[in-house]
Amino acid sequence: MKLNELEKNAKKEIEQSVCFDELEKVRIRYLGRKCELTRILHSIGDLPMEERPKFGRVVNKLKNELEGLIEKKKRALEKSKTLPWADLSLPGRRPFIGNLHPLTILYQEIINVFIEMGFSIVFGPEIETEYYNFTALNTPPDHPARDMQDTFYLKDGRLLRTQTSPVQIRTLEKHAPPLRIISPGRCYRVDTFDPLHSPAFMQIEGLWVDRDVSMADLFGTLKIFTRKIFGEETIIEFLPSYFPFTEPSVDLWIQCPFCRGIGCAVCKKKGRIETLGCGMVHPNILKNMGYPKFTGFAFGIGLERIAMIKYNINDMRLFYQNDLKFLRQFNESKL
Amino acid sequence: MRVNYNWLTEWVDIDLEPYDLADMLDHLGIEVEELDITANDAIFTLEITPNRPDLISVQGLAREIAAKTDKKLKKVIDYQIPEEHAQNKEFALAVTTESKEDCARYIASIIHEIEIRPSPPIISERLEKCGIRSINNIIDITNYVLLEVGHPLHAFDYNKIGKEIIVRRAKNGETIKTLEGEEKELTNLDIVIADNKKPIAIAGVIGGEESGVSETSRTIVLESAYFNPTLVRYTSKRLKLSTESSYRFERKADIGMLKNSSAYAIYLLKEYANGKLVGKVIDTNPSPYIHKEVPFSYEKVNRLLGKDVKKEEVDRIFNKLSLQKRGNDNHPKILIPSFRRDIEIMEDLAEEIGRFIGYDNIEATFGYRSENPISLEGKEILAVKKIMPSLGFYEAMNIPFIECSWAEIQDKNPIELKNPLWSDKSILRTTLLPSLISSIKRNLNRGEERVAIFEVGRIFTLDDGEEEMIAATLAGEIPPNWYEEKHPIDFYDLKGIVVTLLEKLNIQEYKFSGCKDSLFKEERALSLLINTETIGCFGLLSQDVCKVDIYGVEFNLQKLLSGSAERIKFGGTYRYPPVKRDLSIVIDEGKPYEDFKNAIKDAVVNDVQIELIDIYKNSSVGKNKKSLTFRLELYHPEKTLTDEEIEKDMENVIKKLSKLGAHLRK
Repeated sequence: MKLNELEKNAKKEIEQSVCFDELEKVRIRYLGRKCELTRILHSIGDLPMEERPKFGRVVNKLKNELEGLIEKKKRALEKSKTLPWADLSLPGRRPFIGNLHPLTILYQEIINVFIEMGFSIVFGPEIETEYYNFTALNTPPDHPARDMQDTFYLKDGRLLRTQTSPVQIRTLEKHAPPLRIISPGRCYRVDTFDPLHSPAFMQIEGLWVDRDVSMADLFGTLKIFTRKIFGEETIIEFLPSYFPFTEPSVDLWIQCPFCRGIGCAVCKKKGRIETLGCGMVHPNILKNMGYPKFTGFAFGIGLERIAMIKYNINDMRLFYQNDLKFLRQFNESKL
Repeated sequence: MRVNYNWLTEWVDIDLEPYDLADMLDHLGIEVEELDITANDAIFTLEITPNRPDLISVQGLAREIAAKTDKKLKKVIDYQIPEEHAQNKEFALAVTTESKEDCARYIASIIHEIEIRPSPPIISERLEKCGIRSINNIIDITNYVLLEVGHPLHAFDYNKIGKEIIVRRAKNGETIKTLEGEEKELTNLDIVIADNKKPIAIAGVIGGEESGVSETSRTIVLESAYFNPTLVRYTSKRLKLSTESSYRFERKADIGMLKNSSAYAIYLLKEYANGKLVGKVIDTNPSPYIHKEVPFSYEKVNRLLGKDVKKEEVDRIFNKLSLQKRGNDNHPKILIPSFRRDIEIMEDLAEEIGRFIGYDNIEATFGYRSENPISLEGKEILAVKKIMPSLGFYEAMNIPFIECSWAEIQDKNPIELKNPLWSDKSILRTTLLPSLISSIKRNLNRGEERVAIFEVGRIFTLDDGEEEMIAATLAGEIPPNWYEEKHPIDFYDLKGIVVTLLEKLNIQEYKFSGCKDSLFKEERALSLLINTETIGCFGLLSQDVCKVDIYGVEFNLQKLLSGSAERIKFGGTYRYPPVKRDLSIVIDEGKPYEDFKNAIKDAVVNDVQIELIDIYKNSSVGKNKKSLTFRLELYHPEKTLTDEEIEKDMENVIKKLSKLGAHLRK
């Protein structure tokens, strides 16, 4: 067969195919392994040397062209193919997929911020002794500051930790500074179970001990934290406070996200919301641990509190009632 | 504490509106919890931190406001006890303090010819605004001084006490009827004021009913004293009696104000009750306070704050706060006034500087100094948590207190709370399941059709301490929809979930065995074993504890993760398509499927995947018989299997199965 004749026939047959099978047969006939075109291409040896490259180019060009036409025809056939009508408005078959608890979602988010800042994560026991929970933290018995943390005691004299700070002491016993750690976990205080309190709650504490750590470093660290958690434009303020284990002590407040600082019922018209407590580690603690030449800062993040502000939740009990209508709302794609 | 705006302005000129004053107080660390603006006054409810007893008074707050706004105090409590007063033998009184540790100073004054009547409005209104009920002029004056100056006073009816006052420890078992009319039993850790017969007041906490001022009182003994803060706190806590007085004493009231407070009260008693001082004012310790000096370094404090605060600025702040500098600038010492005994070390002084320059003026920095040696814990727990939602579970969290009956059912030694919040939930949880069961029921009652929740958390027992667990519960039914009928959740739903979890955790070596855990229904539950160690159980929860069908699982998380293969091993891919063969056999109804599945696996030479695709029971199969249909997918890694090879495998399978009593279904 002559090349131009073949070209004409092939194009015609492609054009006239009405289904995939027919088109496939055409493809095999003209482009398959044992096809006409291959045969012609193989006959190249019969030609004089100088004509061979040109001939090769022409044949290959035709091959590519036909392949293109077949693809095009395939798409055209696909387009014209019709399926019976189906009601696409029907709901799809959905797999059962749950959610993580909002406190876990937030926990991960917060932990990741501190891991990026180079903090280690350390865990510790929830059942503690007077020593680790209070005494080693500069809060001797009968200190009025103990009123700030009403404690659950066990019958054997131990207690449920009221903060995760005991982990800081336990870590300092094992590792000499410099160090920076985050100690997350569950804590307990004798509080009624009401919209603003829970007898068990999650805390994430941080500690950074090094030579000449300053309040400016504390502020810098928490500024990064608040911006990552509440958004880059978050306005923060540090106001004086008191904790027995830090000196100076401050509270971090963020601009009330509900009224943007104008003043509303949530922030009691202050325009800001108390978010977490922090300060410079009390020198007595570092001295007792044997590191008088170091300074450090510590902060304590109440996970429920941050979640309430971040997600606009007005009742802390919701976190512990496990209502599916509540839990379903916390889809998180950023983890 | 509560304080009103107008009273403060009597002490210091305030150019700020109440809202702005509140903001300023917040910035000084005096948190305004509530601000109540009335027609021509404003009432501040303040949260005073426990280190600042000096701020629990109008005087102290005014001092702080004056320092911050560069004002001078308009009022100073500097009354002298009148020198000229009747010496009258008739009014004898002796005061003894048994221990200076317990009572550093005791000042007693006798006021005669008092006229009991209602207080003038200037006093009663201020008391009411500050949250103290007005009673009569005498009691009100002691409270007025307490609010204004911050020092608690007490008044006894002179005629109702013996002519001797002894400050001593109570005897064990001694009792006193308080002003509130309650009989309290005392111990030798309580300080009491006693006459020669019995206690007449609990020191620093509350007065006695019998010795108190009443409508008929004509002569009173005015007490201004300083009691040991720790003991006052101890007594107040033990007796559950928190008073305006104990609140101030336990925080270390200003020991420097005793005499002034007395003198001020004596002045007010004369003014508003016509009372006259008689006899000698008794003072057990006229100079109890030695001013403390705290070493200071400009440089160190700046390093701590992370800001270069100029020396002049520091000096100016100290001056405003009545903190006097002693010594040269290289080694200065700061003299601490009696009302600021919270300042004990240099860091406390740093805080004063920070408060007054404002923390907003410290520029935030962030930078690493050193490598951090410790690692990340808890990663695995998060990894497990993340799998559960993809298996259809919502994460729950519960308060870890449960009823002690659960530990009894489990036969575990629970850890008991000494002061439980809920009397019925008096132990730390020994299992995560009870709270999850409650949550399941709560959701079912609220109309949820299918509830699947899980929790990761610790359980506590005397024998094993704290153990991290994962538990999940599943109940209800798969709700009906257009492509499938509703059906109740059963054991196999849970088993599939458990197996998928194990697979996702890359746990390959495990076994199931019978479950003896009393929380589960034995016939519908299995236990999971990894390396012969029991990890936990899963299945139908015992009916007596649930009342509805709830499927549950609880595994020890650390033990579970110990079975997780260290590394992922890649086993190659199969390039050649598998050959599928279905095989239906008939066996006795009571025989477990797994025996036959394992037999098939053993009999096949080639690689094989076995799925059970049907179970069939019918008269055609035979009585007490069932038919199982398996789908076998046979592979070879390097070639397509020939019919011959497959037939050989299938022959082996049938031979092996018939040995187990199975025959092919026609």
